[in-house]
Amino acid sequence: MTEAIEYLQFVLAPQMLNGLTIGVAVVLVALGLSIIFGLLDVVNMAHGEFYALGAFISMSLYSLGVSFWLALVLVPLIVMPIGFLIERGLIQRVYQQDQRHVLTLLLTVGLSIIMEDAFDLIYGPNTMRPENPLPGSTELLGVIVPNYRLFLLAVGVATIVATWLLIYRTRLGAMIRAAAFDKHMTASLGVPVLRVYAGTFAFGVALAGFAGVLLAPIYSVFPTMGHDFVLLAFTAVIVGGIGSFYGAVLAGLLLAQIQAISSLYISPHWSDPLLFAIMVAVLVVRPQGLFNWMGRS
Amino acid sequence: MRPANPAVSAAAPARARRRLSVQHLVIAFPVLSLIFAGIGAALGETFYLRLATEALILAGLAISVDILLGYTGLLSLGQALYFGLGAYTAAFLLGQGAVGFWGALLASLALATPVALLAGLVAIRSKGVYFILITFGLAQVAAKTVYNTRELGGSDGLVGVPVLQADFGLFQVDLGSPVAFFLLMLALIMGLYVGLNYLMHTPFGRTLVAIRSNEHRVRFLGFDPWRYKLAAYVVAANVAALCGALYPMLRGFVSPELLYFKMSADAVITVILGGVGTLIGPIYGSVALVGLRTVLGSWTEHYHMIIGALFMLAVIFMPRGFAGLFDRDEGEPAQDGGERT
Amino acid sequence: MTGKLKKVGAVLSVLLPMAAAGQAAAQSNNPITIGVLTPLSGTYAPIGQQVKWGTELAVKEINAAGGILGRPIRLLYEDEEANPSVATRKAEKLFQSDKVDFLTGVVNSGATIAVGQVAERNDRLMATTVSLSDAITGARCSPNVFRVNAPGGMQALGLAAWIKQNNPKARVFAIGPDYEMGRNTVDGFVKQAKELGLSVVGQVFAPLGEKDYTPYFGQIRQARPDVLYTSTAGNDTVRLFTQLQEYGLRERLTIVGASVAVTAQNIGAIGAAAEGFVTVAGYSPDIDTPENKKFVADFRKAYNADPDLYGADSYGLIYLYKAAVEKAGTTETAKLRKTLEGFTWQTPQGPKSVRAGDHQAVMTVYVLEVRNGRFTIKEKIDGQTAIGPDTCERF
Repeated sequence: MTEAIEYLQFVLAPQMLNGLTIGVAVVLVALGLSIIFGLLDVVNMAHGEFYALGAFISMSLYSLGVSFWLALVLVPLIVMPIGFLIERGLIQRVYQQDQRHVLTLLLTVGLSIIMEDAFDLIYGPNTMRPENPLPGSTELLGVIVPNYRLFLLAVGVATIVATWLLIYRTRLGAMIRAAAFDKHMTASLGVPVLRVYAGTFAFGVALAGFAGVLLAPIYSVFPTMGHDFVLLAFTAVIVGGIGSFYGAVLAGLLLAQIQAISSLYISPHWSDPLLFAIMVAVLVVRPQGLFNWMGRS
Repeated sequence: MRPANPAVSAAAPARARRRLSVQHLVIAFPVLSLIFAGIGAALGETFYLRLATEALILAGLAISVDILLGYTGLLSLGQALYFGLGAYTAAFLLGQGAVGFWGALLASLALATPVALLAGLVAIRSKGVYFILITFGLAQVAAKTVYNTRELGGSDGLVGVPVLQADFGLFQVDLGSPVAFFLLMLALIMGLYVGLNYLMHTPFGRTLVAIRSNEHRVRFLGFDPWRYKLAAYVVAANVAALCGALYPMLRGFVSPELLYFKMSADAVITVILGGVGTLIGPIYGSVALVGLRTVLGSWTEHYHMIIGALFMLAVIFMPRGFAGLFDRDEGEPAQDGGERT
Repeated sequence: MTGKLKKVGAVLSVLLPMAAAGQAAAQSNNPITIGVLTPLSGTYAPIGQQVKWGTELAVKEINAAGGILGRPIRLLYEDEEANPSVATRKAEKLFQSDKVDFLTGVVNSGATIAVGQVAERNDRLMATTVSLSDAITGARCSPNVFRVNAPGGMQALGLAAWIKQNNPKARVFAIGPDYEMGRNTVDGFVKQAKELGLSVVGQVFAPLGEKDYTPYFGQIRQARPDVLYTSTAGNDTVRLFTQLQEYGLRERLTIVGASVAVTAQNIGAIGAAAEGFVTVAGYSPDIDTPENKKFVADFRKAYNADPDLYGADSYGLIYLYKAAVEKAGTTETAKLRKTLEGFTWQTPQGPKSVRAGDHQAVMTVYVLEVRNGRFTIKEKIDGQTAIGPDTCERF
């Protein structure tokens, strides 16, 4: 009995708590991806690079003496106009073509190549890491949890809730949902649809950039960091259902938990194939996503 | 007697005035290549000939992508999986001394077909974006698996592939000679082009193009798009594996990088730059990319950015690619309309 | 009479220097070309940078002193990109197009093996000053490949011996990245540790590029180790160390690892968590010999940075090449190879010799510990003890 409790306390519970923290981070990244995917019909293969962009910008801000807390606010505000311009200036140029799905995807592939090389050029290949602003740990029910991860959990949840409020409880959110549902009708009602698209893209990548700032102290910063979350985020989006808010949240949390707990029992290099197998299974059995009972978000 | 149709008489001179077409590109390529080979042989050059041979091998991968993207309307971001499969099969068997030139090629095809059928069964059911992501994921998983498998050399890959003699019955081709290998590869690529081009003009190929334009309509016409797509997928996989098998014959080794996303992405880039849906375009694109890399790479380490930017510009302003520039005269329906009545 | 002599003298004094200059010019049209194929971009760029500096400094010094057999050395750089396919392509270019006499600089172990094959096919020699994989002078050895740095196996032996010496009852846990190199280094270390009678209480492998090591902390906690061995590298090490610290596990552990775990590339990012990290390497800028002090001073003056093992080994390699070519009297491959086998030469860190059986250099290695953000020497281990057996069978 004591062995079971010890197992629970030292192995399983910390693992699950970790899975939760990682899950929240995955959701932040996946949410932006799902929104862009669902509303704009654009597969943003460069989404991981925007996550990296947020982290790199925060490093630049720190070197200018900006505090971590201020950086948390500033970075999304800096990433948004960048995302807006990229959508308006580049992605929208291929909207009218009939191969637009493929073309926008290819465009973002090219963008990701450029961004990754740019990070290497501007910041160099050395790993960087900002100091942990909340060192130390607390004990919760016998489980030792670092303070920063608790903070991560709190901020992540708050951001997710705020995003939900934005999309479902504001006029702006209504415009976004309307534009996704029927862009011609919405346009004819006087909504500047193209600007809504650009703004939504900007918001989606800003979420990813925000996640980058949040995770930098524990995951460090380097030019190829965009690849960290890509598979997990895409899987979460697909399993949850493209464009589904709840889907992205639930799938993100679920997949992170699966990954965390399975790593206790199976060899780690089966982790990615496992995720991939889940993605394929969902696509075959229920392609609209597991949690997409809302239809398109 | 029908009155003279101004549309017809206008069309005829227009066609006679047609300047350059894709056909010219098809003829130009082997001609230019032979000139290149001639100069190379005369100068006793080895490096650039072998680099060009590698470009032709990669062109095979690009053609494989084009079969799916340009004709069937499927974007595969994981064709490197089959290229790597062919490469590893050949390298493994050749390293053991178990087979010769033809044996390696046949073995690669023999392995690629069932794998493609299995993968296709899963991937083809999914539409559009999902197909893309599945092909992407498949290649990633395969790459990771190979990377972790000690018997396949792990992260170091396999070395020790011997230099072969290709036996054609009446004559032998020494693959150690840069000129000989280059000419062999040229012949193979042009052969692939001719064969696949012919295939695309058969009813099978035309059905593929129809599926790309409008899959639903094809279904209503009584065809099962699923079967055609799967067949195209298997054909593309075989082309990729065949050319993949030639890689270790040229370079003497294989490594997991051959299955990475970068390989698949490069192939897609060459298809877009070269001209999607033309089969000859990707060949030009492949040569262009290798050339660009070599030139840019000697100036700066950050040439990826430049290529990425060129790619983006091509997607926005020239989505039909280089060969697409030569394709303009075809399909002028207003003028052709008169003839069909 | 004297007038005429003076005139002749005057003419000669103009012609002779011109002739000498002409001869020198003719000779400098016949330089010895060495290709340096090394990562100039990407994660390994900092290593490539040190390799570049090391070779450059050596070449500068040698050329100033008259070159090798009167011929100056010319260096050609190419970016390896840590990718064997790119490396072999560029190696071919260097051998066939640029006609280099010798090649070095390759970092990635897979690339070293593949480029070695290219060297064989072009009948030239190459040497690595960085690659760790034991296979390079072991199972996959090549008659055209030489290695002057300490391979993974040597480091494992040294570390196990050090632990045994200082804390024979220590409980040791090993963690490594889950791929060929990572598994090999951990397996090598665990084998040495067990042979010396140390208690290995567990080992675990995390995927390469793992961002979160916390799932493994449960196992680590349960095993209650005193010493943690790691063969992670680059960003993985940063994450492992800082996350151990986050969870309060860092203080209880002495962390040891392969030399590649903590380098100039990541020590800044690891920060305070790197304190006390112990590794074994063939060089330290603190080595207290007059040759090394001069070398470090020259290096600092030229590049405003301390040399690390990559810079020092690359510097040493050029001097090896010079000494061997001068003894052989030629750069011709077969003769040079014979001369190199069993050859001993001087480097800033003392004498090294090339073992004839597998072309691996034998040298004293040092146990190093991180103190205040830099490596300090704790003790020396003799080369013959640490080198391990010759497992190369090809020649």
